[in-house]
Amino acid sequence: MKPELDKNILIFLLSSIGLIVFPHIYHIPAAVFGFFCLLLSWRFVGVWKPNWLPGKLAILLLAVSGIGLLYSQHQGLFGRDAGTNLFIIALGLKLLEIKTERDLYLINYLAFIVAASQFLYEQSILMAAYILLVCCVLLATLVYINSSKAQTLAAVKTAVIITVQALPIAVALFVLFPRLEAPKWMLFNDSHRAETGLSDSMEPGSISDLGESFELVFRVKFAGPIPPPQQRYWRGPVLSYTDGKRWTQATLQKPSRKPAVAGTSYQYTLLMEPQDKNWVFALDMPQEFSAPLTLNAGYQLITSERTDQRAEYKVTSYPDYNTGPINSGEYKAATQLPGEPSDKIKQLVGQLHGFDSAPDNFINQLLNHFRTEDFHYTLTPPVMEENPIESFLFKTRYGFCSHYASAFVYLMRVAHIPARVVTGYQGGELNKVGGFLEIRQADAHAWAEVWLENRGWVRVDPTAAIAPERIEREINIDRQTAYGIASANNYLPRPAYNWLKQARQLWGNVDYNWQRWVINYDNKSQSNFLSSFGINDVKTMIYWMIAVIASITAVLCWFLLYQKPKAADKVVLIYNRFCKKLVKHELIRGAGEGVKDFSERVKIKLPVQAEQIDQITSLFIKLRYGRMASEEDLQQLKTLVGLFKS
Amino acid sequence: MKLAERFRLSRFISGEKAVDTPVVLNHRRIFILPTQRGLGFVLLIVLLMLIAFVYNNNLAYMLAFLLASVFFITILHSYKALSGLVLQQGRSKAVFVGEAAGFDIHINNPTDMERHQLQVKLQDAQSLTLQPQSTAHITVYSLTHKRGWHQAGTVTLSSTYPLGLFRVWSPTRFNLKALVYPKPAHVEMPFPHTSSAQAQQGVSNKGGDEFYGLQEYQSGDSIKHIHWKAFAKGLGVFSKQYGGDQSSEEIWLDYDHAPGHNSEERLSRLCRWVVDAEQAGIRYGFALPGLTLPPGNGLAHYQKCLEALALF
Repeated sequence: MKPELDKNILIFLLSSIGLIVFPHIYHIPAAVFGFFCLLLSWRFVGVWKPNWLPGKLAILLLAVSGIGLLYSQHQGLFGRDAGTNLFIIALGLKLLEIKTERDLYLINYLAFIVAASQFLYEQSILMAAYILLVCCVLLATLVYINSSKAQTLAAVKTAVIITVQALPIAVALFVLFPRLEAPKWMLFNDSHRAETGLSDSMEPGSISDLGESFELVFRVKFAGPIPPPQQRYWRGPVLSYTDGKRWTQATLQKPSRKPAVAGTSYQYTLLMEPQDKNWVFALDMPQEFSAPLTLNAGYQLITSERTDQRAEYKVTSYPDYNTGPINSGEYKAATQLPGEPSDKIKQLVGQLHGFDSAPDNFINQLLNHFRTEDFHYTLTPPVMEENPIESFLFKTRYGFCSHYASAFVYLMRVAHIPARVVTGYQGGELNKVGGFLEIRQADAHAWAEVWLENRGWVRVDPTAAIAPERIEREINIDRQTAYGIASANNYLPRPAYNWLKQARQLWGNVDYNWQRWVINYDNKSQSNFLSSFGINDVKTMIYWMIAVIASITAVLCWFLLYQKPKAADKVVLIYNRFCKKLVKHELIRGAGEGVKDFSERVKIKLPVQAEQIDQITSLFIKLRYGRMASEEDLQQLKTLVGLFKS
Repeated sequence: MKLAERFRLSRFISGEKAVDTPVVLNHRRIFILPTQRGLGFVLLIVLLMLIAFVYNNNLAYMLAFLLASVFFITILHSYKALSGLVLQQGRSKAVFVGEAAGFDIHINNPTDMERHQLQVKLQDAQSLTLQPQSTAHITVYSLTHKRGWHQAGTVTLSSTYPLGLFRVWSPTRFNLKALVYPKPAHVEMPFPHTSSAQAQQGVSNKGGDEFYGLQEYQSGDSIKHIHWKAFAKGLGVFSKQYGGDQSSEEIWLDYDHAPGHNSEERLSRLCRWVVDAEQAGIRYGFALPGLTLPPGNGLAHYQKCLEALALF
């Protein structure tokens, strides 16, 4: 056993623990992280100044303050955050009390748990690779403890070799180990869902800056052709009620019948990223879908499953649809106004023939108004506290989709045309490598829907009417490209832009497959995947698991343990077989006894076989010590020993 | 080999039958079981699986599976830590009762792999590291309690390399034995009057070769006669004084004349006399019931006497 506190082991272990806890900086309270850093650096100092380490009393005090710190964070004892904090503090405290090798092991195991807790917060490829590397370092610490010399590099190499050899079996277990859903009572209530994204209300005037987040919301993989950009409207919540500033969802009666659909259909799989709402963004108009999805009154898909994890849904949509007649509740909600419109508004509606022509005509007049008058599209509009719609229409004339959609719907309602705001996402970037669409937060959009006789609810996107030259630069290029109103080559040299785009798409594809096949591999996708190999029940799954692991092990055994015997060794092996046969006659070759002396002794006891014994002995000597030995001699020795009767 | 014999449980602890030939460590001789730390590792894996299960987290599953797989693979690496090593017995030296008998063991590593932290244990463990293609010569010790032949017993070679999760061990028994002489009696006593010896030898030299006392060292006294024990105690330099002509003197050490309550005490006394006589350079004859060695001197004679005492 080595001196208990080998400096190198400590430095090695402490560094790897630092590496493991480091990414938690984003997840745990600053006080807990600070406390841990204090303990870790104290221990680091202790490597060189062992006398500075805290005594028993000080450790007790630190433990008490650690518990106090945990308590002050009000997170209880169970659940992800509380558990992570607890393990990190326990790890930190244990660091100060390393006495024996056993403590090193305990710390090592605790570090593995902290590494696993990392995955409860982030499951990206990069994080997985990072943790894999750190785990190699942790294993290297164990190798280091168990090997004789202080060879850091050799220890790391051994650990990496073991890890690499372990991967095939780990993957087999991953694919074939039966996944069960945790019972509901075991789920801890953690509020760690995404904070960004669409909300269930809209207040165009109060926001002056729309966040341009490239965070992924969902991905769509189409079974057949991909719809053209102008049809890619991903439907979210429908906002009918307004108080003049704020738009919210109204409680609507469910339409009595499903929309009538015709023409081309699109079949696709939605892969939703974790979100805090139970909304599923389907292409207008979702027609076929299965549980747990339901269609709500605003024709929006709602899921009854947990949405804090990635989920996959199969949906079929028809871009050509007719929702039929409007019911009274819908009509009431879609014509609601926050009060009597002002004269200025009425004048504008009248001027655009809102009161004296068909709805179609008015819609076109209004869109034309947006197009010809001095309206601008910007993501940084001025704040409009009072009367946002009027301010937008007559004063500022700078706004983004919500401003246009809300103003449009308001004016429709003034003209007694049922209208409402629909929020959701528009467009999405096609990942050419993976052949799927990626929809990001920056693709969030709001548009209008008007109800027309015989056509039902019809989508109108007033934002699309803005003249391209009036679009300010900062907005999402991709989306505008999809609209056909802006083109990318104005901003970046083409080759660089293409290269960047390709790289992004390649990465997007890798990430998509990672999400789909690794992160999202649950009992459902497992049974789907395995049934394509004819593995249908848990029992077969386990049989297969055992079989696969056994065959991988066999290959590994061969790879690790098989050593081609050297020619010289073969000779010895054969001769030993000969010696074994003689044991029966109590003829045992002494430790230092020469082969020749031994054979003389044997011949005295077994005079009948003297000739054979001589042959074997001389062949052995020739093979072992001679220069002219051939393969035939070896064979002959083999046969002779085989034939030798004892 | 019979099935029952193949699965003898004692093989786990004490190894195969004792042999003289070199022993190659292979699957029949190598055993592997998880250590306490290994069981702790299993607990860790179970805990990780539980976390993965509750949070339905696939990467936590993956980590648990990876560690499980590492645990599994380590069995092979543990086996590799010992397999292929060749153990060979060496010599052993005779000792007196109460001393530790040392047995030489040669461990040869004919492979190209370094063997880390090998523990060789007979009574106390020693650890060593074997470079590729090298041989280590070590001596293992075992405390002796009885005179006669002392069997080496089981030499256990073990290792926890690479991760400390498994202990791999190989118990080996060699036909190794060491001769154990009786413990020399503590008390210094004059050599006996040996009437029988005189009768046998026909030498009449009354009190001639008898140790009769100590006297202060004078220049010219033989170094062999210096009473080293007294010197070591710091009492000064004394010479043992014997009657008669010292160099040609002969004494007889006879079992029948050795004082003692039982045979062991007598043997112990005799042993002491043999040691003293050899040290003093006196020619001594030696007699045990059924064995008589004519007076002599020197290592061969000395060893013969002690051997006779050990095996009496």
